[in-house]
Parts: sequence; structure tokens; C-alpha cells
Amino acid sequence: MSDIPVTADPGETPAGIGDAGTAVDLTAAPEAMTADVPPELVAQSLGQYLRAWWLRVRSGNSGVLPVVLAIVVVAVTFQIANSQFLSSLNLVNLFEQSTVYMVLAMAEIFALLLGEIDLSVGLVMAFGSVVVAELVQPTGANLPWWAAVIVALLACSAVGLIQGSAVALLRMPSFIVTLGGLLILEGVGIIVLRGSLVGIGNSRFTNEVILYDIWYGRFGPVVGWILLAVLLGAAAAGLWLRDARKRRHGLETPPRSLTAMKIALMTVAGVAVVALCNVNRAHSGTIEGVPYIIPIVLVVLAGWTVLLQRTRFGRYVYAIGGNPEAARRAGVSLSTVRIWGFVLAALTSGIAGVLFASWQVSLTTNIIKTANSYVLLAVAAAVIGGTSLFGGRGKTIHGVLGGLVIGGIYNGLYLIGVSSQWIDVVVAGVLLAAAIIDVLSRRGAPGQA
Amino acid sequence: MTAGPGEAPEGTADAGLATDLTAAPKAASAEVPPELLAQSLRQYLRAWWLRVRSGNSGVLPVVLAIVIVAVTFQILTPEHAFLRPSNLVYIFGLSTVYMVLAMAETVVLLLGEIDLSVGAVALVGGVMAFKLVQQPGPDWPWWAAVLATLAACGLIGAIQGTLAARLRIPSFVVSLSGFLLFSGILIVVLGGADGFVAVSTTVPNQRVIYDMVQGLIGIVAGWVALAVVVAATAAALWRRAAARRRQGLVAPPASLTLIRIALVALVGIAVVVICTVNRGTPLVTVEGVPWVIPIVLVVLGVWTLLLQRTRFGRYIYAIGGNPEAARRAGVSLAAVRTWSFALCSATAGLGGILLGSFFFGEYSTNTQDPGQLVLYSVAAAVIGGVSLFGGRGKAIHGVLGGLLIGGIAYGVSLLNLGTLATPLEYIVPGCVLLAAVLVDVLSRRGPGSVTRV
Repeated sequence: MSDIPVTADPGETPAGIGDAGTAVDLTAAPEAMTADVPPELVAQSLGQYLRAWWLRVRSGNSGVLPVVLAIVVVAVTFQIANSQFLSSLNLVNLFEQSTVYMVLAMAEIFALLLGEIDLSVGLVMAFGSVVVAELVQPTGANLPWWAAVIVALLACSAVGLIQGSAVALLRMPSFIVTLGGLLILEGVGIIVLRGSLVGIGNSRFTNEVILYDIWYGRFGPVVGWILLAVLLGAAAAGLWLRDARKRRHGLETPPRSLTAMKIALMTVAGVAVVALCNVNRAHSGTIEGVPYIIPIVLVVLAGWTVLLQRTRFGRYVYAIGGNPEAARRAGVSLSTVRIWGFVLAALTSGIAGVLFASWQVSLTTNIIKTANSYVLLAVAAAVIGGTSLFGGRGKTIHGVLGGLVIGGIYNGLYLIGVSSQWIDVVVAGVLLAAAIIDVLSRRGAPGQA
Repeated sequence: MTAGPGEAPEGTADAGLATDLTAAPKAASAEVPPELLAQSLRQYLRAWWLRVRSGNSGVLPVVLAIVIVAVTFQILTPEHAFLRPSNLVYIFGLSTVYMVLAMAETVVLLLGEIDLSVGAVALVGGVMAFKLVQQPGPDWPWWAAVLATLAACGLIGAIQGTLAARLRIPSFVVSLSGFLLFSGILIVVLGGADGFVAVSTTVPNQRVIYDMVQGLIGIVAGWVALAVVVAATAAALWRRAAARRRQGLVAPPASLTLIRIALVALVGIAVVVICTVNRGTPLVTVEGVPWVIPIVLVVLGVWTLLLQRTRFGRYIYAIGGNPEAARRAGVSLAAVRTWSFALCSATAGLGGILLGSFFFGEYSTNTQDPGQLVLYSVAAAVIGGVSLFGGRGKAIHGVLGGLLIGGIAYGVSLLNLGTLATPLEYIVPGCVLLAAVLVDVLSRRGPGSVTRV
């Protein structure tokens, strides 16, 4: 269930292991083994599961709880300050503004999980955005939009491959490699931009219109509902079938009520989002429907979650982040996994770049400055979301939630008329609070300083 | 320094009275740097070469890089203008900010920590000093404004240091918040996004701040100052070596001390000669040593003394080398770390004042991007030879690294590259940074070195 290695004391294993039914064969293993199994894995009923979860939160592995609380606090505070904050128009805006932070934070998480850092994500984003915009210019390369996107993503991945190789094969510190990469990309970005401006806002060219629509396009209300139904159906079936299969094979399975609750939660959240987006949010005329970028972010989130939680590669990433020497002795090829980690970080930054190009419509050398400020915000979003700076702890969803907090703060402060300099101050405070909560909560955990 | 026991220099057995200490058991002598045991100039040079080959190359790579950069740009620039006195003095002024900030960053890097807020703190400090001397306004004497700035920045550093040292929040996160916080505060103290503050050149009190980088010492005063500096350095070096010799301690050979003094004198004379050339137009004479040179030398001197000659400095190296060992030896980790962050930020504040002075005594929100400033400072320290992993580096490395970054930035701008000029100002420092670390990583792969997993 959870990838996070919880080191619960043997005495803290939830009660009820002994009196559970037929499915507990595995828990009959020696005590030394069960001690290392997360309590949720052995919980058999919803009550036990909740108790195990609470135990885990109290022991410092609070997961997404702090950031969800932060989102609630942000929402309530700004709603009190300005009743427009939770309006349909503003919430959709807020989500749109947050997506770039979200995707960049998801990129940064690959490096952070490995115990490395990637300072170049912002500039890789800028590079990707410039490449994609230049390639669709009718007077230039004039590639179809999909080819431009693929080339841009490949170019970004190549940057990640070079940086990752320097980190993994030469063992140069990732901080310096990506700092050097950042500086070089600042220059390369300006060269690709040819010192002037490039735009994708010309409605006479289909390719530019499609790129423009990535950010500004929307599904019709009906299509939105249908998509939601399909998504929910698939997710529910996936969850339910997996549990059913595990139960059939006599493996540990979360209680049915929990699975049902998860599906219900997803349904409520999905219906809320679609209902919100389908409200006409224009002052005059009609603006309604789910923006394309919501499914885009969901696809990235789902893809990277599956990759990190369900594949061997993902387990290797966590293993290296937790203890590189142990991973090496277990036969993991450190350099391969590290190189791929940096490639994936750069690829994800490239996706952010495509979104960014679409958002900005026309790109000038000002993007260098913006990109530089995004690097630190991406790290901040990942850390606020609950990813550890020391490797081995964190999930892709943390980047999305952390990005939402930062986007919410920016949006809310802007809405109540606070000038931009104070926004940085507030983000700094939130980041510091996240770090302090993380440090203090881990003090209560057994076996950790 | 992991010289094998077999690599201890010859001659320790047949040396005279002064070798009592080296007669210690072999295991101990293996840990002593060979230079300490060298008795003659030749032995010393051989020991130094051994050290360079084992990966501890010290300032050698960055000095070589400075020479390469100077020669390259001298060849490439139109009319071979790079090494003209006017350009050299300008490069020095441009580099001072990076030098001072790199020295600040060095202290924290030595601990194995990082301070990402130096750029923003420097800018806030600079604006604060400029605001304090405004005449309709606080109108403080310049020295009070400078001291208040250093104190305020020191306090900022102490707070960040406390969070990093006592709560053990990663310094990366603490100083990242500090960076965001003070980037915002910077605009607040400037008075909005189009805020602006400048020192007047006609008010003597404000002129001092303007003159810190722009002002020039007269030619005669420059030579006198040089004589004083060289004499003081020579006397200090000579007397220290003599005192050690008198007390029967191991001392570098007299010839080495002489060479060092000669080097200091040579560099000093070269700098003063360059600065004495009239670099103005036929109508306006501009000659003399900029004030900023002695200012940087003082900062360098203070930091070198603090790091190399005091208990506090030894504790910094001890913590950077192995915090757990330092703790067990009784070093108060939290106190040393907090003080280091405080001193780092205070030095950054001075750098901010110099930055405003370099930009002709004006500060606006466009003066310098705090994010770029901090990245250049870290890059300058690392290029100079400071290790990112703590325990290795000196203040002089920051100065040399800063000079290299400034030289590259200005050299590229001289090249008439048209649209390529701006990109190369980013690309070249990036490549230099990567090359510096690559050299560092590869040189440490030598025999007896420790490789990270």
C-alpha cells in the first residue's frame, strides 16, 4: 500500500493480527518480519486501517495530510478575505496558474527522491517552450504541432541525459551540474530565441491554434461529464479488480469498505471539479467547460505515479534515495537509474515547457527571469507537498498538491490586492513552516533523529 | 591529505634540531602534510607537487584558469583591448561583488551547508545602507549606516543559522525561504516595483558610499599604501617563521618565506602600476588605485585570519570535515554554525553596499536579480576551489573565483559578438563551473582518495 518504510516498533503493530481470519497467513511470519511491514498492510477492517493510519501520522509519516490541511487553510483564509476566491471563475484560473508549478514540482521529485537536486528544471522548461514555439513557425521549420512537441520533449530529455550522465557516471555533485546546466541553458535559450520574440498566437495557422488551445482550450460541458464517467469507471474498476484479485490469491488486501470509500472520494472530487468548470464563468458571453490542462496534468500524475509506485524502476528510485550503498549491494545499477531519473525530470520539465509556451502565447527573453524564479518555486512546491530533500520519501501527488498551495497563495494574495513582493514573503513563510513541521514531526518517529 | 606512510618526504631523519616533533611514531607522521616536514625549498616544492598530484591542488587550477582566460580574451578581443588598464580596473570593480559574496558563501560551504539567501540579503543590505544616508531622511553618518547594515544582515544570518543549526532544518530550505523572503522585502524597502534610491556625489557623507567602488586613491597615496601593506605582510610572515624557528618548531625554509614576500610585492606593484596609468580620455584624467581594492583586501585578510588562525576557524573546518567527530571532540556545533551563518550574511551585506556603489551609487529593482547573484556567488566559490561537501576551501578561493567570473563576463561583452554576446555571458561561466568541478572530481580519483557511491 505505502511505499514509505515505516519503522514501527514491534509493540506498535496494530492489535487484531492474531484474531483475523483466513487471509492472515502471511502475518504469521516471525515477529522480526512483521515489525517492518507497514501497519496498513496488515489491517483487516476499516477501523484497524484508520487506527494504523493515525499511528503512521503520529510517527512522523504524515504523507499528504499537512499539505491538504494547508490547502484548506489557504482556501478558508482567502475566502474570508475575498468572497470571489472560491468562485468558479477564480478556482479555474487558480488551477490553470498552478499547473506549471505542479508539473515542474513533479519533475523535481524525480531528482529529490534519488537524494539529488535538479536546479535546471525551470530553464529546461524555458528551453522546451522556446523550441516548440520556434518549430511551428510557418516562416521557419513549420513542423506540425505534434512533431514540434515531440522534438521539444526529446531535446529536453537529451539535456537530462547529459546532466544525468555527468552526475551518475562522473559523480559530479548534481547541485553543480544542474547549476552549470542552468547557466548554459540561459544562453542556449536566448540563442534559440534568436534574441527576439516568438509567438504562437496567429489564428491563421492550425498548428499555432492547437498549441494555443493546450492552455486555453476547453471541453464542452457534455464531453466533460462523459470523460469523467469514463475516467471514474476505469479507476473504480481498476481499484476494485486489483483488490478482488489480491483477495482471491489470499494476499493482504485493504477492507472493501476502504476501497469503496476511495472510489466515493474520487467520484465526489471529480464531480465537483467538472460541475465547477461547467458553470458559465464569463462576465459576458459563455466560458464554460473543463480546460484541457486538467486531464493533461492528471495523465502526467497517473503516469509518474504508476512508474514510481508499481514498477521495478520506481522501487529502485526509492531504494537509491533511501540508501545508495544498500541499493548498490542489492545489485541495483545506480548509474542507470540515476541517469533515467534525470532524463525523466527533464522530460517532465519539457511538458511544463509546452504548457508554458501555450500559456504565454508569445515568448521573449523575459522567460529566462521567470524560469529562474520557477526553479526555486518547484523545489518549494515539492517540499511543501511532503517530499523529503534527503531522498527516498515522497510521491508524485505531493508535487501536484504543493503546486496547488503555491498557486493558491499567489492567486489569493493577488485577488485581495497584495502587491507581488509580499507574495514571495508568504511563500517563504509557508515553505519554512512545511520544513519545520517535517522536522518536528520526524522527531517523534522511532529511530530517527 | 592522505599521503601514504611511504610517501613522507625524505630527510626527516637527517634534519637537525628542529625535527624533534617529526620523530613521532610513523602513523602520526603519515597524517602530517609533507610541507610541514619539508626543511629545504626543494623538499617543499616536491611536497607541494605531491599534494597537487594527490588532488589537493588548492589555488592552482583557478590561477591557471585566470591566465588562460586573460590570454584567450587578449587574443580574441578587437585591438587586443582586454588587458588595457582601464578594462582591468573595470573588471576588478565588477568582480568585487562576486568576490565578497563568494567569500561569504565560502564560510557556509566549509561547514557542508549552503546559503541560497546571500544574493537577496546583499541587495537588502545595500538598499538599507543607501536609505540610511539619504539626506531628507535618516541622514546617518556613512560609517553608522554601514555598521547598522552589517549588524542587520548579521542578525538575519543568525536567525537563519539558528533555524538550520538548532532545529536542523536543511540549510537549503531555510535559505531558500530566506531568498524568497528577502527578494520580497527588497522591493518593499525600495518602495515598490519602480522604487529607486541613490547616493548623491555632492554630499560628502553620501560620497563616501559612492566612492567605495568608484573612488580612487591618489597615485602617491597608492604607492605609500602599497609599501605599508607589503612591509606589514613581510614583517608578519618573517617574524612568524622566525618565532617558530626560535622555539624549535617546524618552520618553512627562509627561502620560501622570501619567495612569498617577493610574490606579494610583485603582485602589489603590478596592481598599483596598472591603476596608476591614466585610463581616462585626453581631457579627463582617471588614475589611481580604486578604494575597493584595499576594501576587498581587508575583507580577505579578516576572513583568512579568522579561518586559518583562530579556534573558531579550526572548528569550522572540523565540522565541515566530520560533524560527528567535531561534536565528540567537544565542539558546539550549533554555536559555530549559527555564527558562521551570521558572519556570512554580514559579509553579504557589505557586498550589497559595494554592488550599489559599483552601479554608480544607484539602486533600483533592476540593479541585479537576487537569484542570479546567489548562483554566481556559489559558482565563484566552487570555481575558486571550495568544496561543496564542506571542510575544504579558503577565503582566497572566493576572491580568485569571483575575479574569474567577472573577467569572463566582461571579456565576453568586449567581443562584439552581436546577438551571441548575451547568451555567451551565461554559457561561458556555466562551462567554466562544470570544468572546475570536473577537474576537482577527476583529480580526487587519484590513489588513496575516497569516492562517493
